[in-house]
Amino acid sequence: MKGDRSKAVTLWTFVIAALVMLSAPTLVVLGASFTAGNMITFPPEGLSLKWYAAIAGATDLRDAFLRSVIVATICTAISIPTGTLAGIALAKYRVRFVAGVQVYLLLPFTIPLIGSGIGLMLIFGKWGLLGQLWPVGVACAVINLPFMIWAVTASAASLDPDLELAAANCGAPPLSTFLAVTIPAVTPGIITGALLMFILALNEFLVSLLLVDARIVTLPVQIYNSIRSIITPDLAAISVVFIAVAAIAIALLDWLVGLDIFLKSK
Amino acid sequence: MTGSTKPSFQLGRRRFLQGVGLAGAAGLVGMPFGRAFAAEPEKPKEIIVRAWGGSWVDSLKAGVSDPFTKLTGIAVRHDLTEDNEIQPKLWAAAAQKRVPPIHVNWDTTTNATKSALRGVTEDLSDLPNLKTVSDAAKPVGVDGYPIVNTYGYVYVLAYRPEAFPDGAPKSWNVLLDPKFKGRVAVYNDGIGLHFPAEIAGGGKLEDIPANMQPAWDFFTKLKANEPLMGEDPDFTTWFQKGEIDVACTISSNAREAKKNGIAIAWTVPDEGATYETDGLWVPKYLPENELYWAKQYVNFALTLDAQQVWLDGLGLPGVVPGLKPPADLVGDASYPTKDEDYKKLLRVSSKVQVEHESEWFGKFKEIMQG
Amino acid sequence: MRPSRTSYPLSWRLMDALEAVAAAVWPRSFSAAVPWLMLLPAVVLVGLLVLGLWDMADGSFRTLDTATFLPSDDYSLTNYHRAFTEKLFFTVASRSLIGSLIVTAVTLIFAFPYSYVMVRTRSAALRKFLLIALFLPFFIGQVVRAYGWLIILGSQGMVNEALGLVGVAPIRLLYNYPAVLFGLVQYMLPFAVLMLAPALTAIPEEMEAAAGSLGANWVRTFIHVVLPLAKPGFIGAGLVVMTLSLTDFAIPAILGGGSQDFIANAIYDQFFRTSDQGMGATLALLLVAVGSIMVGVVFALFGAGTLAMGRSK
Repeated sequence: MKGDRSKAVTLWTFVIAALVMLSAPTLVVLGASFTAGNMITFPPEGLSLKWYAAIAGATDLRDAFLRSVIVATICTAISIPTGTLAGIALAKYRVRFVAGVQVYLLLPFTIPLIGSGIGLMLIFGKWGLLGQLWPVGVACAVINLPFMIWAVTASAASLDPDLELAAANCGAPPLSTFLAVTIPAVTPGIITGALLMFILALNEFLVSLLLVDARIVTLPVQIYNSIRSIITPDLAAISVVFIAVAAIAIALLDWLVGLDIFLKSK
Repeated sequence: MTGSTKPSFQLGRRRFLQGVGLAGAAGLVGMPFGRAFAAEPEKPKEIIVRAWGGSWVDSLKAGVSDPFTKLTGIAVRHDLTEDNEIQPKLWAAAAQKRVPPIHVNWDTTTNATKSALRGVTEDLSDLPNLKTVSDAAKPVGVDGYPIVNTYGYVYVLAYRPEAFPDGAPKSWNVLLDPKFKGRVAVYNDGIGLHFPAEIAGGGKLEDIPANMQPAWDFFTKLKANEPLMGEDPDFTTWFQKGEIDVACTISSNAREAKKNGIAIAWTVPDEGATYETDGLWVPKYLPENELYWAKQYVNFALTLDAQQVWLDGLGLPGVVPGLKPPADLVGDASYPTKDEDYKKLLRVSSKVQVEHESEWFGKFKEIMQG
Repeated sequence: MRPSRTSYPLSWRLMDALEAVAAAVWPRSFSAAVPWLMLLPAVVLVGLLVLGLWDMADGSFRTLDTATFLPSDDYSLTNYHRAFTEKLFFTVASRSLIGSLIVTAVTLIFAFPYSYVMVRTRSAALRKFLLIALFLPFFIGQVVRAYGWLIILGSQGMVNEALGLVGVAPIRLLYNYPAVLFGLVQYMLPFAVLMLAPALTAIPEEMEAAAGSLGANWVRTFIHVVLPLAKPGFIGAGLVVMTLSLTDFAIPAILGGGSQDFIANAIYDQFFRTSDQGMGATLALLLVAVGSIMVGVVFALFGAGTLAMGRSK
C-alpha cells in the first residue's frame, strides 16, 4: 500500500536521524579507543590495545567502578518501592491537591543539580553521614525519582480498575489484589524505571562529586577529575569497557525477565 | 612599572632568592624528623592530599607524595576534586565542625586566601623549612602562614606556530585581531587576562583595582572577536583539533600539550603576563596527630629534592633556592629566573585579587555572555 | 480427602499472614489515607531536597563580605535585588527559558516516531536494538561525549571535511546557541522516548486499524487517534524534558564555547568560582520557583498528563 510506504519512510527518517544523533559520538569514541596514538582521534591513528592495557592495571578505576555499582544498586533498591507506590497512588486514586503533589514530586527536576548537591551535602553533613556510600545512593534516588514515578504511572494506564474490582468481588483481600493484579499491571513501568534509575545512578557525577571523598570516589567522579590538561584515549577505553559491562547486564536482565514484552504493543 | 609599595608589585629575583645565603642546602637537614621522632604523634595509615589530575598529580606523587611515604610509612591518597569544587565541601565541613575530607589542599593562592580569610586554615608558621624558602612562599595580605606558596606560574600567550609564520605575537592585542576571529581562546572566567588586558587596553598596573575601564574596553573588543572560552583540557583539545590559533593559558598546560605532540608555542608579550602562585594549606578540625603529619607533608614539599622533581614535572619555578630549571625551559619567559624575567611579569597582591575577584568576574561574564 | 490447611502451599499461608498484618495496621476505615500512605516514602525522600533548599534559603538573604568571605549576619534582599536587576542574570535566564521550550518541542518531535516504531515493530530484535541505542550515550559521560562531537562537528571535523569535498568552506557548527540546543535534544531524547513509550503501548493497535479501515490515511489516523490518545505521554515527556533542560549545566558548558551559559552555569559560578553561596542559593531558589510555576501551568492547561490516565477510565 502506498500510504504505508509514506508512513514508513516518514517514521524511519526520524528514527534514523535520532539513531545517528544518539550513537554518533559514542561510535567515534569507541573507534578512537583503539588508537595507537596519544590523542582521541577518529579514524584512530593505527590500531592498538595499549589504552586498554593502561586501564587494565588501574585498581583505583576498578574500585571506583565497583563503588558506582553499589551506589546504583542502592539507588534502584530505594526507588523501586518508593516510586512504584507513589506512581500507583497518583494513577489510581483521586488525590486531593494533586497538582501541588505533582509540583512537589517534580522538585528533583526543577532544582538544579548543583543546588541539590549542595543542599544534600549540608543535610548529610549535619547528620554526620558523609564519607559513606549509601547516602550517595539515596541522593541518586532522590534526584531521579520522578523518572521512577512517571514510568510507573505511565504504565498504570493499562491498569484496569474493573479488573481490580473483579478481584475484590471474588473475595480477594486488598493486599492480594494489589500484589496479584495491580503490581503485574505496572511491571513494565517498574522495569523501565528501574533500568533508567540504575543507569543514571551508575553515571551520576555532579551530586556525587559533592558527597564522596577520596576514599569512596565513584567512577564518573574519578574520570572527570583525572582530566587536567589533556583528554587521553584511556577515557575512551574506560567508556567502552563501561558500555560492555552495561551491555552484559542488560542482556542478563533481558534473559531473566525479557525486556521485549514490556514495550510491545498489546 | 615599579609599584612595590602599592598593592601591585613586581617580584624581583633578589627578593626571590633571599635566604639562600642563610640556609644553603638546609632544606634537607631542616626537616624535623631527626629531632622529633621520639615525641612524634601516632601516624595515621594515610593522609589525603587534594591535587589536580593528569600530569599534575603525577609530578606531585613523584616529587613529594611517594618520597614522603618512603620516609614516614604514611600512605598518601590523592583527591582529584577541582580546587574550586572542593572549596564548598571544605567550608561546609568547617562550618559544621566536621573532620575535613582532606588533609592537605593544593590550591591557588587566591582561592586559598579566601579560605584563610574565612578562618578555615591552620597556621603553618612553625614549619621548620620556612626558614630556607624565598619570600615568594609568604602569602600577602594575611597574617602568618595560613598557606605556603610553593611555586609561581605564568599565564602565557600560547599560539599555533603555523598561524604565525613571522614569529611569536608581540602583543595581547592579537586576541582582538579580526584575522583570528572565532579562533582565539581565553579562560571562561577571564582568569589570567585581566591584568594584560588592563595594560593592552591603555591602562597601567597601578590603576588596578581603582580603574579597570581599560580592561573592560579590551574585553568588549575581545567579545566582538568571538573568543572560545573554556578550561585547560578545552584549550589543548582546541589546539589539537585546529579550532583555535591563539589562547591565554598557563604555561604548564601549554608545555604539557607540546609534550604530547601538539604543535604549540608560547610567549610573554610586550605588555607582560600575569604571574600567580599556588600553594599548600591544611584545613582546620583534623585530629591532632593527623594535623601534625599533614603539616609534615607540607614541610616536606618545601625541600629542595621534593621541589626539584615535583616542579620539573610542572615546568614551574619553585620557592626553594638552588632549583634548576628543566632543560626545555632554560631561558624561557614562562620560567623566570633573572631580574629582567620578573620585570616582564604582572602581579597584583592576592588580597586585592580576592577582594575584587567576584566583581571582575561578574563584569567579565556580563561582557562575554551578552 | 480434603487436604488439611497446613498442606496449602507456603505462599498461600504467607499471604494469609500478610493480609492479617495488613488488615491490622491498615484497617479499611483508613482507606482515605491509603493514597497518602503510598505517597509518603516519596514525599519523605524529596523532603531531603526541601530540607537542603531550606538551609540554602537562609543563605540567600545574606550577602558575602569579601573581607572575611563569610556571609553577613544581617538579613537583606540584596541578592534578590541583584538577581532581578543585573543584566547578566537576565541574559542567562531568558536564554535558558527560551532554550528549554525549543528543546522540548524538538525533542518531542523526534521522540514520538522513535517510540512509535519501538513499540509497534513486530521484530523483537529491532525493539531491543532501539531500546539499547537509547542508553548508549549515557556511558561515555559528558566530557568524552563533547569530544566525540568535536571530532564529528568541529571546524576540521568529519562533517566539515565532507562539506569540503563539495567545495564548502568550513562552518563553525559547535560552540554557539544552536549547538547547545542540539546537544540538549540529544541528551533529552532517551528520556522523552522512555516516557512516551508506555503511553503508546497503552493505545490498542486495533484502534488504528479501525481508523484505517474507515478510510483514514495514516496522517489522519495519527492526528485524530494516536496523538490525542498519547497526549498524556506527551505531557509527561514534555515536563521531564522542559524541567531538565531548564536546569541543565553540563551541555551549555561544554558545547556553548563558554559564551552560552544557562542559569545553572551562573549558579555554578556563584558557588564554585566567586564563592558567593548566598547569591548561588538565590539564583537556585528563583530557578526552582520558575520551574515549578511552569510545571503548574502545564498541569493547569493540559491536566496531569500521564498521571490522569488510570483515573480517567
